[in-house]
Amino acid sequence: MSRFRIALALAAGLLGMAGPALAQDVYPSRPITMVVPFPPGGVADLTARPVAAAMERTLKQPVGVVNKTGAAGAVGMQFAATSKPDGYTLLLALSSISIIPEADKLFGRPPAYTVDQLTPIALISADPTVLVVRTESPWKTAKDFIEDGRQRPGQISYSSSGIYGTLHMAMELLSHAAGIKLRHVPHAGAGPALTALLGGHVDALASGPAVVLPHIKAGKLRALAGWGESRVAALPDVPTFKELGYPDAEFYIWAGVFAPRGTPEPVLARLREALRTAVADPEFKGAMDKIETPIAFKQGDDFARFFAADAKRLAEGVRKVGKIDEKKP
Amino acid sequence: MLETLQNLALGFSVALQPPILFYAFAGCVIGTLVGVLPGVGPLAGISLLLPATFGLDATRAIVLLAGIYYGAMYGGSTTSILMRIPGEAASVMTCIDGYAMARKGRAGAALAIAAVGSFVAGTVSVVALMLLAPPLASFALRLGPPENFALLLLGLLVLAYMSGGSMLKSLAMAALGLLLGMVGIDPMSGYFRFAYGVVELGDGIGVVPLAVGLFGLAEVLASAGQPTPPRVQKPKLRELLPSRQEWRNSMAPIGRGTVLGFLIGIVPGSAHIISSFVSYAVERRLSRHPEEFGHGAVAGVAGPESANNSATSGAFVPMLALGVPSGPIPAVMLAALMVHGVSPGPLLIQQQPALFWGFIASMYVGNVMLLMLNLPMVGLFVNVLRIPYGLLYPAIIVFCVVGVYAVNGSVVDVWIAVIMGVLGWLLRKLDFETAPIVLGAILAPLLEMSLRQSLAMSDGHYAIFVTRPIAAVLLAVGAALLLLGLRAWIVRGLDWRGRLALAEKGDAP
Repeated sequence: MSRFRIALALAAGLLGMAGPALAQDVYPSRPITMVVPFPPGGVADLTARPVAAAMERTLKQPVGVVNKTGAAGAVGMQFAATSKPDGYTLLLALSSISIIPEADKLFGRPPAYTVDQLTPIALISADPTVLVVRTESPWKTAKDFIEDGRQRPGQISYSSSGIYGTLHMAMELLSHAAGIKLRHVPHAGAGPALTALLGGHVDALASGPAVVLPHIKAGKLRALAGWGESRVAALPDVPTFKELGYPDAEFYIWAGVFAPRGTPEPVLARLREALRTAVADPEFKGAMDKIETPIAFKQGDDFARFFAADAKRLAEGVRKVGKIDEKKP
Repeated sequence: MLETLQNLALGFSVALQPPILFYAFAGCVIGTLVGVLPGVGPLAGISLLLPATFGLDATRAIVLLAGIYYGAMYGGSTTSILMRIPGEAASVMTCIDGYAMARKGRAGAALAIAAVGSFVAGTVSVVALMLLAPPLASFALRLGPPENFALLLLGLLVLAYMSGGSMLKSLAMAALGLLLGMVGIDPMSGYFRFAYGVVELGDGIGVVPLAVGLFGLAEVLASAGQPTPPRVQKPKLRELLPSRQEWRNSMAPIGRGTVLGFLIGIVPGSAHIISSFVSYAVERRLSRHPEEFGHGAVAGVAGPESANNSATSGAFVPMLALGVPSGPIPAVMLAALMVHGVSPGPLLIQQQPALFWGFIASMYVGNVMLLMLNLPMVGLFVNVLRIPYGLLYPAIIVFCVVGVYAVNGSVVDVWIAVIMGVLGWLLRKLDFETAPIVLGAILAPLLEMSLRQSLAMSDGHYAIFVTRPIAAVLLAVGAALLLLGLRAWIVRGLDWRGRLALAEKGDAP
């Protein structure tokens, strides 16, 4: 390589570095990272990828999904919460975002992050969980299940995706609303939790509708009730707990986009607009259809209100569950 | 039977279409690379590639991802044999005898045996998957936490057969491994144990940084500390192929490894890595020359390498027949199906025959491709040993660090690998074997989870392990093995382990 070429390469390199500085006023001027605190293939990941692809088309900058997993999502959420608030690091989080700091508080340990380190931008989807049991189980309706739970406290068992996880919280909210006591058997993720129910090792499970639908159609599982405000579209005959008189048993596995607190308002406005366009994108809709997750778009005050109400419910749920080993003497 | 053949014909008509062939081939090549790179295992490889498959149709996506999965099992043995770095966690056992063979100039033979063993195991286990998937899957579902616990307890007994030298030393190492496995979030109460405020330690100490540190980095450190550098090998072409005796010694281990791997693979929630550990222990127990293990026994390569390949097919049984994941890798593959609008469930085989049978047929094709890919590469890979150590070792360290970092993008993992490297070097200086540490660290969280799940199911009554027939039988087998072991120890005073330790002492200068 001649000296001239080296000089040219260096110059090009310097220009490249200077580029973003010059164009700083127009957001976005460089690629954006969307942090997903869960492994590829999960609900969060499968939602984040089409969102990122649709945002890319509006923002005209690459939006890369980075899976930063560990400690039930705490690692990735902490990473995003402490990132530079410049709009180039975003977070796609699930309902568990408000559970983890509460659990930290419960154990009196320094929290990995707090919810107010993050600014909510938009809610993408919200899927209520449904209560499923095996077809050969004696419970035909949610009423049977709750009655039996009252008569035999601590005898009916359920699996969950993990302690203080979303599926655990859903079931605890129901237990408290209905005044029953169930036996919790935590598993390492939603997949193993479903396997345990199908294998007959536990009696019930609160699950996102998409993963249990094929098993309901195959006649292996029966859905008794849902945690949503309204019925699940794919299960029109399954009532909600609200209809059955347990309005406190409300729970969604939702996915929303957040930015680190302190992100400038013009950047947030641009992101809100990009997300509004993204959810209307036909390709995005097709992707969400395939994973059978309904879009539930909310932003601004709407999302803030939803988020606050949800966080309050879950915080209360975590406090009611309390520390597990302190309950049994 | 006729129906199966018809279905298989349908499958091959799908699998032999040029685009499907291409994706199967691409999967096998990527899988081999993923396996060869230290640290990056099939889970990381599949996870990284999952988004790239969103644009493909369901059959192509699943064929590509499955190719990566079983391809990684072929590739994983390469660095284990040549450099004592496990290419992925299931190849830890291959490091021991494979590397010892390489040191004796039999690297080519070890690589060839590993490739052939993988091929036999891969092919036979696909036959089993094809014929037995639906009945076996319903059976596998009935294995819950208590059965898993009993099975893992059997795995723990395996520890006693793992090392050549002192039983006390290897048990000490296993205990250290079990202790390391305690780090992380308590699965039942949510406490952070031994995390010291490091959130990344919430999931415990990863198997990948642990194994890469204890084997790869420790090996480099140990060699660098020698007063004279190890001799650079000059493998000759005719030494590349296994001898007649080596073939004969590997036949039975390959067969046993295949059966064992498949059975362990179908159990939901069990660690497929364990299949290679169990196979190693079985081979050592059955061998007429257990003293050769650890010093280049060909059975110690053939058995585990077959077992880990066969376990991958086993893992597909519950996934394809019932739509439930038996581990993290099938879980990612199920997600890949969902993205394409295919609902994985009990009706998958009926509703998507072309997908299921095409997938099965592509596994036959893929295994042939991998054999053709890997056997000629033996000659190429062996040349790595010709590289002077001054150049090879820095490169190994770079690959180890990059590989460990790539899995989670976590610097904490790199530090774990470095600390384990130093620990591994120290332990080798003191004549401790490090393989039991890895097995202990893998088993501890699984054992704990299944024990505590079982007790949660029974509300704290230990009777659950006796009242469930499969668990009871497994525990009885374990107790019998333990008693037999003790009897030999007490009655004869010294079994082969003791003789071996004495012999080694005599050898020492």
